[in-house]
Amino acid sequence: MKLKFIYTLSMAGMLVSLSACHREYLNPTPQSVVSDASAFSTAARISSQVLGLYATLKNGSFYGGRVIVYGDVRGEDFLAQDPNLVTNYDVWALNVTNTATSVKGLWLQAYQVINACNVFIDGMNSKGLAVVGNTVGNAYLGEAMLIRALAYYNLLQYYARPYADGSGSKLGLPLRLTGILGPGFSDLARSSVADVYAQILSDLNFAEANLPLSNAAAAASAANITRAHRNTAISLKTRVYLSMQKYDKVIEEANKIVPASAPFTAKSGVANALVSDYTTIFKAPYITAEAILSMPFTSSSNDAPGTQNDLRSYFYAAANGVGSIFSLNPSGIIANTGWTATDARRSFIVTSVATQNIGKIYMTKYPTATPVDNVIVMRWAEVLLNLAEAKVRTTNTVDAQAVALLNAVRNRSDATTTFTVASFATPADLINAILTERRIEFLGEGLRNNDLMRLLQTIPAKGVVAAKNPADDGYIWPASSDEKSLNKLWADQ
Amino acid sequence: MRKLLLLLMAVGLCVTQLLAQTRTIAGKITGPDGSPIPNASIIVKGTNYGTTSKANGTYSMNVPEGSKILVISAVGMSDMEISIGNKGIINAALDASDKALSEVVVVGYGTQKRKEVTGNYSNVKGTEIAEKPVQSFESALAGRAAGVQITVPNGVVNNPPVFRIRGTNSISLSSYPLVVIDGVPTFTGDQGATNAPANPLASINPNDIESIDIAKDAAAAAIYGSRAANGVVFVTTKKGKSGRAKVSYDGWVGFTKAMRLPDIFNAQQYVDYKNEALNNLKAVSPSTTGSFIIPNDKNGNPINTNWYDEVYRQSFSHSHSVSVAGGTEGTTYYFSAGYTDQQGILKKNSFNRSNILLNVDSRVNKILSVGGKIAYSNEKNKIPGTSGSLPGEAFNSAGVARLALGLPPNVAPYNNDGTYNIASATAIGGMGSLVNNANPYTFNNATMLLNLNRSNNELNHIQSNVYVQLKPLSWITLRSTYGIDNVLIDNDVFLNPYHGDGTSGGNGPGGGATASYLKNKIWLWTNTAQFDYTFADVHNFSLLVGNEQQRFTGDGFGINRRTLSDSAYTVIQAGFTTNNTAGMTITQNYLLSSFGRLNYNFDKKYYISANVRQDEYSALGVKKGNFYGFSAGWEVAKENFWKNLGADQIFSSFKLRGSYGKVGNIAGINDFATYSTYSSGLYGGNPTLVYNAVGNNKITWETSKKTDVGIEFGLFNDRIRSEIAYYKNNIDNLLLNVPQAPSVGLPGGPNSVFMNVGKMYNQGIEFSANAQVIDTKDFGWNTSFNFSYNKNQVTALANGLTEIQTTTSSLETVNKTVVGKSVGYLWVVRTAGVDPATGRRIFVNANGDQVYYQNTAPTGQFQWMTADGKQYQKNGSNASVNQADDGVLYASSVPKYVGGWSNTVNYKNFDVNFLFTYQMGNYLYYGTNAGLHDQRFWNNSTDLLGNYWQKPGDVKKFPKPLYGDNTSNGSATPLDINVFKGDYIKLRTVQIGYNLPKSVVDKAHISKARFYVAGQNLAIITKYPGPDPEVSSNGNSGTSFGVDRNTLANGRTITLGLNVGF
Repeated sequence: MKLKFIYTLSMAGMLVSLSACHREYLNPTPQSVVSDASAFSTAARISSQVLGLYATLKNGSFYGGRVIVYGDVRGEDFLAQDPNLVTNYDVWALNVTNTATSVKGLWLQAYQVINACNVFIDGMNSKGLAVVGNTVGNAYLGEAMLIRALAYYNLLQYYARPYADGSGSKLGLPLRLTGILGPGFSDLARSSVADVYAQILSDLNFAEANLPLSNAAAAASAANITRAHRNTAISLKTRVYLSMQKYDKVIEEANKIVPASAPFTAKSGVANALVSDYTTIFKAPYITAEAILSMPFTSSSNDAPGTQNDLRSYFYAAANGVGSIFSLNPSGIIANTGWTATDARRSFIVTSVATQNIGKIYMTKYPTATPVDNVIVMRWAEVLLNLAEAKVRTTNTVDAQAVALLNAVRNRSDATTTFTVASFATPADLINAILTERRIEFLGEGLRNNDLMRLLQTIPAKGVVAAKNPADDGYIWPASSDEKSLNKLWADQ
Repeated sequence: MRKLLLLLMAVGLCVTQLLAQTRTIAGKITGPDGSPIPNASIIVKGTNYGTTSKANGTYSMNVPEGSKILVISAVGMSDMEISIGNKGIINAALDASDKALSEVVVVGYGTQKRKEVTGNYSNVKGTEIAEKPVQSFESALAGRAAGVQITVPNGVVNNPPVFRIRGTNSISLSSYPLVVIDGVPTFTGDQGATNAPANPLASINPNDIESIDIAKDAAAAAIYGSRAANGVVFVTTKKGKSGRAKVSYDGWVGFTKAMRLPDIFNAQQYVDYKNEALNNLKAVSPSTTGSFIIPNDKNGNPINTNWYDEVYRQSFSHSHSVSVAGGTEGTTYYFSAGYTDQQGILKKNSFNRSNILLNVDSRVNKILSVGGKIAYSNEKNKIPGTSGSLPGEAFNSAGVARLALGLPPNVAPYNNDGTYNIASATAIGGMGSLVNNANPYTFNNATMLLNLNRSNNELNHIQSNVYVQLKPLSWITLRSTYGIDNVLIDNDVFLNPYHGDGTSGGNGPGGGATASYLKNKIWLWTNTAQFDYTFADVHNFSLLVGNEQQRFTGDGFGINRRTLSDSAYTVIQAGFTTNNTAGMTITQNYLLSSFGRLNYNFDKKYYISANVRQDEYSALGVKKGNFYGFSAGWEVAKENFWKNLGADQIFSSFKLRGSYGKVGNIAGINDFATYSTYSSGLYGGNPTLVYNAVGNNKITWETSKKTDVGIEFGLFNDRIRSEIAYYKNNIDNLLLNVPQAPSVGLPGGPNSVFMNVGKMYNQGIEFSANAQVIDTKDFGWNTSFNFSYNKNQVTALANGLTEIQTTTSSLETVNKTVVGKSVGYLWVVRTAGVDPATGRRIFVNANGDQVYYQNTAPTGQFQWMTADGKQYQKNGSNASVNQADDGVLYASSVPKYVGGWSNTVNYKNFDVNFLFTYQMGNYLYYGTNAGLHDQRFWNNSTDLLGNYWQKPGDVKKFPKPLYGDNTSNGSATPLDINVFKGDYIKLRTVQIGYNLPKSVVDKAHISKARFYVAGQNLAIITKYPGPDPEVSSNGNSGTSFGVDRNTLANGRTITLGLNVGF
C-alpha cells in the first residue's frame, strides 16, 4: 500500500504540474511582421511605411508597369502581337469587359494605394506626428497625399468621363479619405469628376506646402527621383490641370519652377533639367536631373514588378524574336516624317531580324530583364511641354516661350531641327506640333491615353481595331465587376 | 485541481479497502486451443477486486469473503462468468469472441469494447489495407467503411487522396479528418513545396497498422472537441504479444500502367484533320497560309510521335517489411523495418520510403507500466517538374500530363541531329509545319522537361511517444503521455535554362533553382485519469478526465536562385547571378484542452455516455470553446420481452443508439489570422513596411452540430451483422473570406475579411452489413457491403457574398457555391448541338435563346449570330455568350452515394479477396475534353473522326473544324458538353493467395508462408469518358470538387507478394 501511495502521489504531483501549462503560447506574437498596434511606434517604422506607400504604388498592376502599358496601347502607336487577354490584348482592342484583368487589376491596386495612404495619414495624425515631430511628419503626410493624388488621377483617366465632358459634372470615383481597417465599408457613392479633381489638387497643394525643397543636394540623386519633393507636387499639378483644361492654372504652377527662357532648369527646389543625352534617361542607373519621380527596382524578387507586368515583357523583343507582346504600329507616330532619322529618340526603335518577327518594329526603351528598368512616373520634359501647350491655349497665339520650350525638347534629341515662331502659321499648328512632340518624346511612357482623354479626342483606328469616338461604348473602361456587385451605392454613368 | 481531488478520493478508498476480510484464489486462463492467455482481466463482479493474468496465463488474487462471481475477460475472447463458491483454484477456458462485436474500439484516450460503444465508429483492420501498392494507408480505405469517401485524385505517387467522412464539412477550411496516430494527432495534406506531393501519412508503413477506427458522430468524436467536425481517424500500430519472438517478412513487387488514356490522333490523322481545319479557315481568312506536314526522321521515315510513350511508362515498384514481435511476461515489443520504392506511371516520378518502428510496453509491476514508441521514416518524393495534376497546376504550360495530350504527333522530341527539338524557350519546334509562316506549336517539349528538370522533396518524419501508467487500484488508471511528431522537409527544385519554366518568370531567365527547408514540429502532453467501477453488479461506470496541451511550431527558410553562371550546373549550391528568398515561414499554434468522458451502463442493457471538451486555441479571436457529445444505447436483445418473443433465436444482438453533440473545426486557420499586420518589403532596395493583412479578432470555431441515430444488430449468433444509421450535421459559423468592394482597399485578401458567417448541412444514411456466409473447415466466405447516401446543402453565405466562385488553377471557373445547392456546383454554359446547315456550335444564352458561333466569320457575318442571321446583341450592343452572363448552375459535383463491397473466400490453402467500390449521383467537369477538341494546333481525340460536320445536312456531334477555334468545344468557356456523370463501379482490388501447407512449412522450419498475386483498378464500369471518374484537379478543395482538367491518369497495378512468418 505504501508503494501505491508513493506512485499515486508522484502521479498526482505530475498532474498538478500541469497547471504550469504554457498559457502564454495562447497569445503568440508574429515574429516576421509588425503588428498594427506598433506600426507607428518608432521613427524608423514610420519612415519604412512611407517607402511602403511608394512600394504599393510600384506594384506591377500599377506603376510597376501596367498603367504605363495601358496608357500607350489604348492609343494608336502600338500593335498587339499576342491575343492573350491577360496581357492586355483587350485593352489594345478597346473592348475590355468589366471582368478584364486590366479593369479589375488597376481598380484594385489604385485603391490599395489609396487606402494604404489613408491608413498612414490617420496613423500619423493619431500617433506618428508625435513620434517624428511636425516638420518630418508633415513632409511624410505630403508624400502620402501626393501618392494618393496620383492614384485618384490615374483612376479618373480610365474609369471616368474626361473632365472636358461636362466640366467634371459626370460621375467620378468613390472618394475614400479615411483609412479602412475592417469590414463593413463597401458602400460608397461616386463623387463627381470635379470633386475628385478637387481632392487631388488639395492633396497636391498640401504636398507642395509640406514637402522638402529637395531630398538631396544633387538633382541627379536617388533620393530626388524616387521620393517626392516640392517640385514633384508642382509638376504633377501641371499634369492635373492640363487634364482639366485649366490652362491658366497650368501656367501658374509651371511658372513656380520653370524659368522664362532657356535653359529651362528649375529655378527653385531640385534643379530639374533636361539631360543632354535622351538615351541616358532609360539607362541604368537612371539617376538624372530630368527624372522627377520614377520607380526603382532591384533584382530582389519582392522588389520586382512580377511577370506579365514589367514593361520589358510588353515592349521589348529579344534578338531571338521572343518576348514582345506589342510592336510599334508602322503607321503610328514612327511614320511621322518630321521625326528625323537622326533624332536620338529613333535609337530606341529597332526592326526585328528574328524569323518569328521579321520586319516588325519594336521599342527598346526597356530592355532589361533583371532588375527591370526604372518606370518613369514623370519627368521634366513633360512639365515643359505642359507649360508650352497651356501658353498657346491661353494666349491663342504662337507663343514665343511655348516655341522655345518645344524647341528645347526637340533640339536636345535632334540638333537638325529648330523650331522658331515662324515655323507655325497658326496657334493650332503649334498645339499640334506640341501634341506630336509628346507622342514622340513620351512613346512607351504611358501618357497617350491621358492626352486623348483630356481633349476628348477620338481614339484613332489601328490594325484591325476601329476608331473609338468619345460617345462610343469602350471609350472609357467599364467599372470593375467586383465594385459593381459589392458596392451597393455604385451607379453606372 | 479537480484531478487532484479525485486522486485524493482514490487514495482514501485504498485505505478503506484494507478493512475487508479476504482470501486468495488462483488459477490459469487459457484460450480455446489451450494456450495461456496473458493480460486477461479477472474481476470479482460488482467490486473493485481484480487482477490480470501473467504471460503464462496464471493469476492469483485476494477476494473478499462471500464473493460470488468472477468475471474474466480478454481481448479477442468472450467474457466468462464463473461462480466462486468455496473454490481456491479457478481455471477458465475462454472462447474466441463472438466475432468483431466484442473487439475493442479505439475511442480517443482509451479503448472500449465494441458492443458497449454508443457512438458511431467504423473499423478497418490493418490486414485489409496491408499489401496494397499504395503510398499511404488512407488511400486504401476506399469502400471499406460506410460514410467514408476516398478519391485518389490522379496517378502522381504520394498524392494525398480526397478524404471525406460524411460529406464536405467546410468551405474555406479543411474537410480532411483529424488523424490521430497512437494518440498523437499528426499532419495531413501535401506538406511539400514542390511539384511532387508529399503526403505525411505515407510515413506509416501500412503493414505496421493494427487497426483504424473512424469516429463519425459527435458522441464518438467530441472527445477531440474543436477538431472533430470532419471526423477522427484513430490509427493504432502493432504491438507485441508475450511469448516467443515472431519474425515475419512481407514483400511485394508490382507493375503499374496508365489506364484508359484517351485515344488521340496519330501523325497522319492529325495532319489530315488540321489541314482540313486550316483550309476551312483559309476559305474565310485569305491571309492564312501554310499547312501541316509530316516531316521525316533521320532514317527517312515519317515522324509519328506518341507523346504518351514520352511521358508515361510501365512502372515498377517493390516493398519489403520485416517485423519482430514478442515479449516476456512483463514486456512486449514490436519492431519493424520497411523499405519501399514505388515508381509512378509518369516518368521519373517516384516515392521511396525507409522506415522503422519500435513499440515497447512494459508492466514493471502490478501498479506501474511504462512504454513508448519510436517511429522514424525517410520519404523521397521525386518528379521531373510539374505534372499539371496538383491543385493550381492544371493549366501549367509545362504540365507534362497536358503536354502528353496536346503535343502534335507530327513533331518529334529530338531533331534529326539528336538535339532537342525546340523553336524557342517555350515552344517545341515545328519541323517545317508552318502556319502563316510561323511555327504554330507553342507548347513546351515534354521530353526535354522530363529529362532536365526536377522538383523533388524529402521528408524526415519522427513520431514518438512515451507513457507512464499507474493502476493504484484495479479500477483506477492514471496515465501520462508525451508525444512528438516532427516532419522535416527538404525541397529541391531545378529548372533548366534552355526550355520551359526555367527561362522566364520566377525561375529564369537562364535557369533557376529553389531549395528550402521546413521544420514542422508538434509536441503533445496528455494526462488522463480513468475510473472503471461497477456498483451492485449492474451499474457500470467508466469515467475519464484529462488534460492535454499541444504545440505546433513551423519554421522554414530557403533560397531561389536564377540565371546559372554556367549552363552545366544543376544544383542550388552552384553559381547563379540572382538570389532571392523562398519558403520563409515562421508560425506556431497552441491548443490547451481539458476533457472528460462518462460512460454508464445498466447491466449492459442501457447505455449512456457523455463526452465534453474545452479547448483554447491560439489562432482564434474567441479562443475558448466548449464541445460535447451525448449518446444513449439500448441493447434490446437483452430484454426479457425480446426473449419472450423468441426474437433471440434470430437476433443475437439488437441495439438502438442515438447521439447528439457539438464539435468544431479549426483545420487550416492561419495561425495569425487575428492580427492586422505590416510586412516588410523593398522599395528600390530600401526597407519598407506595408499594411499587408487585415486580422479579425472575433473569429472562432466553425461549429458542427451532429445528430446520429442508428441500429446495430447481429443475426444467427452474429454470423450476419448490420448497422444502419441516419445522421444530420448542421454546420454553422463557417469561416469565409467575405469580399468587400475593391474600392475599400483592404490588403491581404485582398478586400476580403475572414469571418464566421456561413451555414451548411450534410445529412445522410449509412448501411453496412457483414456476413459469414459459409464457415466450414475447408471453405469460408465472408462478405461485407456498405452504402452511404449523403446530401450536402449550403444554407447561408454572407451579406454581400451570394456566391463563391472557385477557380481551377486561377484560369477556369466551373465551381460555384451558392445557397440552396451543394458546395462547388458545376457552373457552365449550355449548348444545343451543331447546326446541320452550317456546322456552327449552337450556344444557349441565359434566356434560352440559341446563338450560333463561328470563330472566324466570313465577310458580312459575325462570330455570334442569332438564328435569323443577325449579329447577336444584348441591350442593344454587340455581345457574346459568356459564362458571367449565361452560365447556369448545371449539376452537382458532390457524390450522393458511395460505398463498397468486399469478399473474402477461403478454400483450403487458397484465399481470394476482392473489393468493389462505387460512387454515384455526381457529375464531373471533364475539362481535359475541351482541350482534346480544341481547334488550335493541339492534338485531338479520335472521337472527332466521323463525328464532325463537313457538309450541309450533316447531323454531327462536333462542329465544322475551323483552325484556331478555341471556343466551340469549350476551351474558352466551360460548356455543358464537357460535363459527364461520375457514376462508377470499380473492381478496386483482387487478391488471390496461397498458403503453403503446414507439412511443407514445418519442414522448412517456418511457421507460415503465403504467396499472392493481386490487381488494383482492374476493371471499371462507367460512362465517364475520361481516364478515371475518381479524379480531382483541385485536390482536397471543399468548393472545387469534380474537375478533371489536364490530370495525369490513374494506373492499373499487378502485384506479386510473399509473406513468411518464422
